[in-house]
Amino acid sequence: MEQLAERAWRPHQACEDYLSEFRHCRSFRNHFHHYYTYGTAPSCQQWKEDYHNCRKWESHKLAEAKDALQKSERRRLEEQKNFTPVWKLRQAPPGDWHRPLD
Amino acid sequence: MILHVSVMQPMVSTPTCSVSHTPPFVFHHVFSKVYKDRHFSCEDCDGTVSGGFDAATSQIVLCQNNIHQQAHMNRVVTHELIHAFDHCRAHVDWFNNFRHLACSEIRAANLSGDCSFTNEVSRFNFGLKAHHQQCVRDRAVRSILAVRKVSQEEAQKIVDEVFDSCFKDHAPFGRIPHGNKDAKFAYREYMNRDRYYANL
Repeated sequence: MEQLAERAWRPHQACEDYLSEFRHCRSFRNHFHHYYTYGTAPSCQQWKEDYHNCRKWESHKLAEAKDALQKSERRRLEEQKNFTPVWKLRQAPPGDWHRPLD
Repeated sequence: MILHVSVMQPMVSTPTCSVSHTPPFVFHHVFSKVYKDRHFSCEDCDGTVSGGFDAATSQIVLCQNNIHQQAHMNRVVTHELIHAFDHCRAHVDWFNNFRHLACSEIRAANLSGDCSFTNEVSRFNFGLKAHHQQCVRDRAVRSILAVRKVSQEEAQKIVDEVFDSCFKDHAPFGRIPHGNKDAKFAYREYMNRDRYYANL
């Protein structure tokens, strides 16, 4: 039963989406924007690896492929949060967001 | 809970103020809609200001006398929506905490397209390697000086203090949207978010 649940796991996006991210990352336009923003070339290899791991999982259900993909996505998410926020986040929007104007 | 602020409908254009269809602008955490007639206001403004966000009324002000091109309008709307997004998702003390103000201005300059290569060249600011960051710093300082009575040095100091943190904060896009493709991919990631968190 557990095995069935394991095998039912899906990557968070279609494998073709990883490929399109890789191609976009490698494009001249993206290289230009990255250099203009950071002064360096972008690193695109991870998208390619994720695509291959995604395909390996979809075709052969290899556990290593799934683990690698999950690890990569978690790392990507961590990188997005790799800063100390200046402010405190809300639990709900401001109460007066929809208050009628006078 | 998902904060979904969406400016979806093509805007009605008036003789002096016309806002184009803006792609869905997505906020995280709590559902809260933006309505054209409640959250936007077209007004005549002093000087060369293009727009602003009024936290007291939760309203975006668009300066109809200073915006003459659709691309400029798109950029101003995006810029102010980022302020609105920050107001909605965080306890931003706009009036008393200059660090908060600076942070939102850094994010707005970074993520709205204000500092694109083309826009900078049109201002005769010719820079290439990492110039985007310099532009973001400069425009954040300018924005602070436009709304608060502080010296240039003070504004610069505050921006420098919070820059590293706020430049990395790409919410709600997850990346800096340099063009339509970036925006498209950011939106795709947003639409996949439930699948995302379930499968990590």
